[in-house]
Amino acid sequence: MDTQNKKLYFFGLVGLILISLTGRLAFLQLLNQGDFGKESMKNAVKTITETPARGLMYDRNGKVMVDNRPSYTLVITPSSFDKANIEEVANLVGMPFDEIKTALEKIKGTNRFNPAKIKRDLDFKTISYLSENKERLKGVDYQVEALRTYPNNFRASHVFGYAKEISEKQLEKQIGDYYTQGDMIGSDGLEAKYEETLRGEKGYKFMSVDVKGREMGSYNDGNSDIKPVNGSDLVLAIDSDLQEYAEKLMGNKRGGVVAMDPRTGEILCMVSKPDYDLKIFSGPTDSKQFATLINDVDKPLFDRVIQSKYPPGSTWKPMMSMIGFSSGELTPKSTITCEGSFTYGGRTWEDHGAFGPITVVTAIEKSVNVFFYKLGLKCGIDNYNKYASIYNFGKRTGIDLPNETYGLLPSQEYLDKVFGKKGWNQSVMINLGIGQGELLVSPIQLACYCAAISMNGIYSQPHLVQKVKNSMTGEEEALKFDQRKINMSQDWFDVVKKGMFLVVNGTGTARNIKSDEYVLSGKTGTAENSRGQNHSWFIGFAPFDDPRIAICVLGENAGFGNAFAAPIAGSLMVRYLSGNKMDVYKEDTTGGVND
Amino acid sequence: MNRGFFNRFDLTLFITTILLVTTGIVAIYSATYGGTSVTDFYVKQMIFAVVGFCIVIVLTYLPPRYIAQSSYILYIISIIMLLLVLKFGKVINGNRSWFYIGGFGIQPSEFAKIATVLALSNFLSNSEEKKDPNKLLNFVRAGLIVAIPFILIKLQPDTGTSLVFLSILIPVLFWAGLNPFWVLALISPVMIAILAFLGKTYFIAGLVLILIMLFFFKRGWLWSSAILVLNTIIGFSVSKLYLNLKPYQQKRIEALFDPSADPLGSGYNVIQAKVAIGSGGFFGKGFLLGTQTQLKFIPEQWTDFIYCMVGEEFGFLGAIIVLTLYCILIIKFINNASLSKNKFLSLSCIGFGTIFLVHVTINIGMTIGVMPVIGIPLPMLSYGISSLLSFLFMVGIAMNAYRNRNIYLT
Repeated sequence: MDTQNKKLYFFGLVGLILISLTGRLAFLQLLNQGDFGKESMKNAVKTITETPARGLMYDRNGKVMVDNRPSYTLVITPSSFDKANIEEVANLVGMPFDEIKTALEKIKGTNRFNPAKIKRDLDFKTISYLSENKERLKGVDYQVEALRTYPNNFRASHVFGYAKEISEKQLEKQIGDYYTQGDMIGSDGLEAKYEETLRGEKGYKFMSVDVKGREMGSYNDGNSDIKPVNGSDLVLAIDSDLQEYAEKLMGNKRGGVVAMDPRTGEILCMVSKPDYDLKIFSGPTDSKQFATLINDVDKPLFDRVIQSKYPPGSTWKPMMSMIGFSSGELTPKSTITCEGSFTYGGRTWEDHGAFGPITVVTAIEKSVNVFFYKLGLKCGIDNYNKYASIYNFGKRTGIDLPNETYGLLPSQEYLDKVFGKKGWNQSVMINLGIGQGELLVSPIQLACYCAAISMNGIYSQPHLVQKVKNSMTGEEEALKFDQRKINMSQDWFDVVKKGMFLVVNGTGTARNIKSDEYVLSGKTGTAENSRGQNHSWFIGFAPFDDPRIAICVLGENAGFGNAFAAPIAGSLMVRYLSGNKMDVYKEDTTGGVND
Repeated sequence: MNRGFFNRFDLTLFITTILLVTTGIVAIYSATYGGTSVTDFYVKQMIFAVVGFCIVIVLTYLPPRYIAQSSYILYIISIIMLLLVLKFGKVINGNRSWFYIGGFGIQPSEFAKIATVLALSNFLSNSEEKKDPNKLLNFVRAGLIVAIPFILIKLQPDTGTSLVFLSILIPVLFWAGLNPFWVLALISPVMIAILAFLGKTYFIAGLVLILIMLFFFKRGWLWSSAILVLNTIIGFSVSKLYLNLKPYQQKRIEALFDPSADPLGSGYNVIQAKVAIGSGGFFGKGFLLGTQTQLKFIPEQWTDFIYCMVGEEFGFLGAIIVLTLYCILIIKFINNASLSKNKFLSLSCIGFGTIFLVHVTINIGMTIGVMPVIGIPLPMLSYGISSLLSFLFMVGIAMNAYRNRNIYLT
């Protein structure tokens, strides 16, 4: 067969296919266009998204701390909206013309037949105007949405955090396609950490619409609709009275307070100052107010309890004692002589007194520096790192909040990296021994370690949320958090705790907070700050025999530990143990004593 | 430009290709318009169209012997890629057929099409005497060249693409000189199987047709009756096999031919696609105004179901224009194959022309409900970088065949 003949076979095949496909197209598009046209009209379905209310937050006694209120949100459906009306809508809701225009342009990325949220929290007057002019202002409508409200006299801004409108970046980065433009998403604090619990699941209502977008009733008799699932509620361990009291005591100082139940790790109150008003984020977020918060030099958005890191100062001394015991350089009975200063390699480190040969109990009680200079030197960096990391220093405690800091627990490798292999020697251990130098810790790390000491080595993962309450079924589910036993001798805990007992109840550095009703214990600390006044620290627990509260207070640039932090910590412990009745707070006027 | 340029440059093919690629970009723009995350597909398609046309130009001017010489190497590379993708590929829509590199998906099976056709053509054109496809050994060897990628792709398991590979073999062998009698012997069982499924009348009509054709071939009663008996057996066993299937399996097969049998399952796409195209009417609903397209009723409407957008928004007129453009393109491939005195290029053109024809027929046939839903792209219209580049590569080879049509030696 020659090529020309073969070619004809192929042409024949192509012609046959062309004719059958054309015939079929003509049948569909020319003869049956009417039927299919009707079908496609019926087919147009408008999806109305029903956003569920976010879950609430309760305190440990069932008091509502984070609530919802109804509000009206302006929505525009691009497919039926006449752009000539932008100006009228802009004037109506008091939004600049350009802002609405950009908001409308942003919608381009989503389905033009779906209403998009333009502005939250409309007032009643606007709503009535919209209802009256519904026929004329096509595509403009409002939806009822829930907004956050905080019914109490405290802020707890860093605990609750906030949900705000999802950003373009977040939309792009989301896994899956749950969120669309205009949705709220938890962006900080518990709102962010428990976003999937709190947000619920969106529902969808399907309406049949004709091609012009007019609603023709519900699609498939509503059988295809998906009901929204309300967000679940969180029951927090926070004691709202204690929280209010703690915020009052901190006033407008800079610093942080965190108190927990050492037996469980439940956070009883948590304050970071300066804080901010969460109302800024509920309702229409004002970009100017937000910018002010972000640019504030005092960093109010920064959670000092879990994000700040400072040297712990003398609050480290109980930890250093445990390191000494564990590395075999110290026994409960052994003494170290304290001459008032310590000279090593030609340099001298000072102390606030000469105490002679003393045991670890006295060293903690009187916060004797020379004792711990020498102990640090004896233990060395490897033991230091090994045993302190058991108490989660240099690690995250695992609190249920986002963006917790690791702090910094120096190690051999770290020092080699920073100073070079030959750039440092054993003398760094002198400062590290008293909680200065490269060591950095956060208040939450100190609180957890103090709780673990008070519980003779039971370390509990700190957490704010006790239970999740399903808002549909009312069922409560207790959340599980870690608890572990630190394997160290009971004798060691006994002497360290005895020292901490004497700090308050003996002749120690915090005897100014001694209480007649409850046996408080603790340790003061003053973190040296080369750039300004010292940071004031206090860690403590009470009652001594059966601890029910452990606490850490930080005052930035607030001076000595016993001047600022100790009185606040002491009053809070008394307040809590007395069932939120007693107020023993007295501001320090003496300037405090050196520890 | 002088006449010599057009004498050696296949302008018709080139312009047809440009028109189709442009239509594709417009269609993808509409199909993804207002979508959630896929709004930049048409931009990607545009960028790679430019890349593809550079490939077309380079291929047009490449000496044919380079292409022939590299065909086996390309084939081996493709086979290795197909093996790798089975092990390391990403699963999309149930098929492990993708590599993901820097945000772009690459589908080795698309490039294997090219390599397989080139290797097959090279094998059949090497030296006239030895490569007569009517000799059993040669036939088996040629079959192996196609069978290896076919099996690897079937394992992904991308049935649609693997069928395209099978379809290459017979037209190319026929062009290389395979006796039409053997073509009949190979095609008839497939035809009979489908006809038998459709019903007894179709089956008997098919058998009669085969009988008449066998009579004309006059190949001796032994071979002829063997083929007839084989077809009869196949015809009867198809309906037997079907009855032995589980009801849900029967339903799935039924829906291949009659979508209304399973309107919410596998028939859904076909029904929605038919509604989209049917509602377009003569002039269409207008660009970006198709309700079916814009409301995203049709899944995958920027890839396998792109023709719906053309049919709905540009109507019968647009649909026929696109169909005609494909016909021109395929006829150009066949024509260039018959013009070319270089056997390798000639066979390649036939192979590639067949691939175009199979894709167009199955894809358009599927969207208008005359073919089962087999997920293969519409050439140069569907979104897909790998498939766009590989189809443009084929155009480049056809351009080269036209340019060198008077040169015998490779």
